Amino acid sequence: MEKKVSALSVRGIYTGYDRADVIEDLSLEVEEGTITCLLGNNGSGKTTVIRSILGLTPPRAGRILFHDADITHLATHKIVRLGLASIPEGRKVFPGLTVEENLRLGGYQEDDKEVLLARMQKVYALFPRLEERSTQLAGTMSGGEQAMVSIGRGLMGAPKLLIIDEPSLGLSPLLVKENFRIIQSIREQNITVFLVEQNVRQTLAISDYGYVLSKGRVVAQGSADTLRDNEEVRQAYFG
Amino acid sequence: MDIGLIAQQTVNGLMLGLIYSLVAVGFTLFFGVLDVIKFSHGDMLTWGVFTAFSVYLGLTLIGLAAPVLILVIVALVAMAAIGFLGAAIAKVLIIPLKGAPPLNTLLITLMLGTVLRESIRLFYPDGANPKHFPALLPDWSHSWGHFTLRFDNALMLLTGLLMIVLVQLVIKRTKLGMAIRAVSQDEETARVMGINFNLVVYVTFAIGSALAAFAGVIYVLYYNELSFNMGLLLGAIGFSAAAVGGFGNIYGAIVGGFLFAMLQSIGAAALPFASAYKDVFAFGVVIVLIAVKPTGILGEKETERV
Ligand SMILES: Nc1ncnc2c1ncn2[C@@H]1O[C@H](COP(=O)(O)OP(=O)(O)O)[C@@H](O)[C@H]1O
Ligand SMILES: [Mg+2]
Repeated sequence: MEKKVSALSVRGIYTGYDRADVIEDLSLEVEEGTITCLLGNNGSGKTTVIRSILGLTPPRAGRILFHDADITHLATHKIVRLGLASIPEGRKVFPGLTVEENLRLGGYQEDDKEVLLARMQKVYALFPRLEERSTQLAGTMSGGEQAMVSIGRGLMGAPKLLIIDEPSLGLSPLLVKENFRIIQSIREQNITVFLVEQNVRQTLAISDYGYVLSKGRVVAQGSADTLRDNEEVRQAYFG
Repeated sequence: MDIGLIAQQTVNGLMLGLIYSLVAVGFTLFFGVLDVIKFSHGDMLTWGVFTAFSVYLGLTLIGLAAPVLILVIVALVAMAAIGFLGAAIAKVLIIPLKGAPPLNTLLITLMLGTVLRESIRLFYPDGANPKHFPALLPDWSHSWGHFTLRFDNALMLLTGLLMIVLVQLVIKRTKLGMAIRAVSQDEETARVMGINFNLVVYVTFAIGSALAAFAGVIYVLYYNELSFNMGLLLGAIGFSAAAVGGFGNIYGAIVGGFLFAMLQSIGAAALPFASAYKDVFAFGVVIVLIAVKPTGILGEKETERV
């Protein structure tokens, strides 16, 4: 059997914005080489989990390890430099920067021009549309194109772990399908994926393992297959 | 009006416009990265000028007699010192206040400005009185009829314009500039890209403050006089220029600076009574402009920031 390597380990974190904790005693593992998903309804705390991992809203208690390095209280830019990238909720492209500049920012930690160029070629191969539009301001692009910019930007850092927050939000069904296909291809590039979604069916179809979040707590977890067959999950989320 | 006089007014207007623009760019950079108005900015200019003056005195004291060399050293030291001071202020006073109501930052920097200003008056030798700043550039000139172009003025204009172009290039073409623009547009996402936010803020404050010192050096070379409160009006004008151009917009700040100088010139020429009213006129027009177009004449859309 293959040896399991933990890419990300979240251990009993509590995170909140003001006084009340939004996340309570949450633990999860993302195994290297997998697509691991976190499912949950709107407001269940998915984005807050990501913010905790990225150090944007550090947890009040608990620990977060990334490839065995304790990143719980590290500044965001230092966490990112360890090889973690994210595609944020709502794309968050830099509207006043060009497509190319947005991509360059994704590779901000890399100084080697050749390496960056090679990565950009890879992104352009994945999204030829972005190469055509490389000098266009990202803010003037369509939602689908901005999604490409955001994904491409996430790949420019050549991360070990890519965290994706609700990529299908606001996209047409056709683009959603395309999105999931791309996420699958990302895993094939040896990038571990932590995928946060509300779109249960399609997410479980490409995931290896999943967690279900409700009101800031993990209420179910298991391999994608078992979650799919789980009666509770079915009733709660397959509406 | 005589053509020579118009030419003279134009040189004067360009010189002032340049100085205002350089001050305004600082305001707009600070606003870009931190959404703050740093009211002590004009007094940083004053400190730059007094640093320059002190270095000048020191260099002549040790017997350096080459004026142009002195000027270069004086300008570089002033820019470095004030740049460093700007970064230090960002670290100690402004970043810690992030997250507090913006009014706090505004008050703190307003008070800091007073402290900077008054400390020159109180602690600089004979600081309460204006001082003479020597002409350090050769006094060559050329006349066309009534119009005399002084070589030093031309050189100052040229250097100043080059500085503005340089700043533009840094902001638009370098990795640092890209980080500054990213932070200006979306601080959080910039962090997620691996950008060290605090470092970008320090560097931005250093650049903006060094530009104020540079503007101050040009100003004293032009007027040959410095005083502890010279930064007050220059700060107010730079602030207005940035506001008129639209805070956060570098082109806007530059345009705003030249526009303000133009308004002053028009005010001085058009108002038959004392030209002292030129500032009243210029500020009056600025008030109207801002009332009509609160986001600045270049109409900042969110996407146009920095
Ligand atoms: N910046 C914030 N400040 C205060 N409360 C927040 C903030 N962001 C989210 N919350 C609250 O935290 C809870 C979880 O939100 P979030 O993590 O965004 O959920 P999800 O991503 O699953 O939709 C919600 O109740 C939301 O109101
Ligand atoms: Mg969310």
